[in-house]
Amino acid sequence: MTQTDIKTDPSKPAQRMRAGTLVTGAGPWIIAAFVLLILPFVFQERSAITIMNQMAITIIFALAYNMLLGQGGMLSFGHAVYAGVGGFACMHIMNASDFFENMPLPLLPVFGGLVGMGLAMIVGSFSTRNAGTVFAMISLGVGELIAACSIIIVAFFGGEEGISGDRTYAQPFFGVEFLQQIEVYYLIAAWLLISAFLMYLWTRTPMGRMANAVRDNPERAEFLGYSARWVRFYSFVASGFFAGISGALFAINYEILTEENLNATSSGLILLVTFLGGVGFFFGPIIGAIAFTLVQTVLSLETDLWALYAGALFVATVMYFPGGLAGLLMMHVPAFRLGKAGLLTMPYIKTLIPAAIGIIGICGLVEMLFHMRHGSDYEMTLFWTTFDSHSVLPWIVFAALAIVGIGIAKRTAPDLQAAWNEANTPPKGSL
Amino acid sequence: MTAALELDGLKKSFGKAEIIRGVDLSIGKGERHAIIGPNGAGKSTLFNLITGRFPQTAGHVRLHGEDLAGLAPFEINRKGLSRSFQITNIFPKMSVFENVRCSLLWSLGYKYNFWSMVGRSRALNEGAEEILEQINLSNRRDLPAGVLSYAEQRALEIGITIAGGADVIMLDEPTAGMSHSETDYIVDLIRKVTEDKTLIMVEHDMGVVFGLADRISVLVYGEIIATNTPELVRADPKVQEAYLGAALEAEH
Repeated sequence: MTQTDIKTDPSKPAQRMRAGTLVTGAGPWIIAAFVLLILPFVFQERSAITIMNQMAITIIFALAYNMLLGQGGMLSFGHAVYAGVGGFACMHIMNASDFFENMPLPLLPVFGGLVGMGLAMIVGSFSTRNAGTVFAMISLGVGELIAACSIIIVAFFGGEEGISGDRTYAQPFFGVEFLQQIEVYYLIAAWLLISAFLMYLWTRTPMGRMANAVRDNPERAEFLGYSARWVRFYSFVASGFFAGISGALFAINYEILTEENLNATSSGLILLVTFLGGVGFFFGPIIGAIAFTLVQTVLSLETDLWALYAGALFVATVMYFPGGLAGLLMMHVPAFRLGKAGLLTMPYIKTLIPAAIGIIGICGLVEMLFHMRHGSDYEMTLFWTTFDSHSVLPWIVFAALAIVGIGIAKRTAPDLQAAWNEANTPPKGSL
Repeated sequence: MTAALELDGLKKSFGKAEIIRGVDLSIGKGERHAIIGPNGAGKSTLFNLITGRFPQTAGHVRLHGEDLAGLAPFEINRKGLSRSFQITNIFPKMSVFENVRCSLLWSLGYKYNFWSMVGRSRALNEGAEEILEQINLSNRRDLPAGVLSYAEQRALEIGITIAGGADVIMLDEPTAGMSHSETDYIVDLIRKVTEDKTLIMVEHDMGVVFGLADRISVLVYGEIIATNTPELVRADPKVQEAYLGAALEAEH
């Protein structure tokens, strides 16, 4: 590492805050607001707006989840209940027509947030005494308990068919009745911006910083005057609030909530999304939510095996890039700072293109196997080509792609490794 | 005048094993006090009892005359007692600057505040810069604390310990595992940062102990066998027999 890079001028507040996160100032937020504003003009199809709504809701939920996992070091296996219960509460508000018709719809998420926060206060009062395994087990138990309640307490959770409502009964908001998907999009986008901004500010407060300290070393934090337990509790409650907001937005968007919004699958999914994106950076969960929603929606239209690919992606992330997609991106920052990122371009092309071809080959084999076992006829379409999955030729083609692609990637990987080391070595004389 | 720290009949047993067997000790304000003793004498246990890491079996710990019984470590810290650890105990993933800034938060009255920005507070940031300056880590401020060298981590540990402005500082083997030059650096640092404060340290390095301490207590098998000025402790035949003889010989 070079000394020259590390030197900072303490008199400049911008540099003072450099450590920890790269996002400083209002710039990224203005860009984000602009992007959210124009996205519906770029992607005008109804299905695209549906996907974007889902994405935004997942982003809020994943960011809320990362307040626990990444920033507070608390691994929760039951976080869907805070979003879910917040959503159910909003559904009941929607159905209480006397009250609802006097309330503008954009205010509804506040109630979802408060309910999620209230539940988090109750559960957090006993679950945050410890982090680690104890916390994880309690979160799992409470999650299962509440998910089970959804079938028992029918009055609140609506049993197996869940609870549905109609958002358009709300008081019109400046004449907008939220009949159109696009109107809902802007409502969700606004809440996304507000929630993300508030959660970002949270990381900048004494509480947010102490959450990191307690994550790193709870005992040391205690010897600095902070009760690790209360620090965890406040993080947990704040996370419950934003999870509740995401649940409320789900209620507004889909107008139905079921047991699925509470169960362990949903809780596991948000863990997966957050980890995939990267827990070490504030924007990690945002990338994770975008990537995962794309896999879940776009890829699921193409193949029935999308969950297999999502799972493989997750396992690969955990094994090779524990920093997630955000970590993978940020790994390249030192090379860019040294001005040597260009050295990586050719080795990347030489390795990643064959690797991609190899992966296509493997996917082809998997898809053909699946088609042979479950397909109703011999004819299958893959990568825009139609062929007979029971003939030998396509098997040979895909196997060859897989072997050659992976083979070349393996051969060029050492060069990439060498280029990587070179790109991250400071120029001689600066040490 | 009440003592800064007073131990009164302090005992600790783990099951049947008595580790601390009745310790009485009074440390005055502004004193630099060292606790020495052979391995397994119970020095670290004594530290843990004083700072509330374990509850004592019997006896009292008084800080400025106030009994600390039943208080959690964070409550004891708020009363003005701060400690470092034998094994480096920092926040490894946070930047060096952030480590120090976090240790200032409570003493500056931020408590569990979630409505003000840490980057905006001059007292907080300048205070942290000042401490970084004191512990000579200003040029490392943005590195994750976990990547610092061992000596630097120890210095950071001391910085975190003193940052909160506690008036009683307890250091558990601050020079453990250090080279000679590193030890000199840390000793100078300790002398500088504990000025006008009460210092209680456990230390193995006799050079450090005799150079720093106003008084020394010798702890052997859970009991203090002598408390006195360095010269008189060195001359005490009981101490020489129990512990110092071997160590002093080794040094010459």
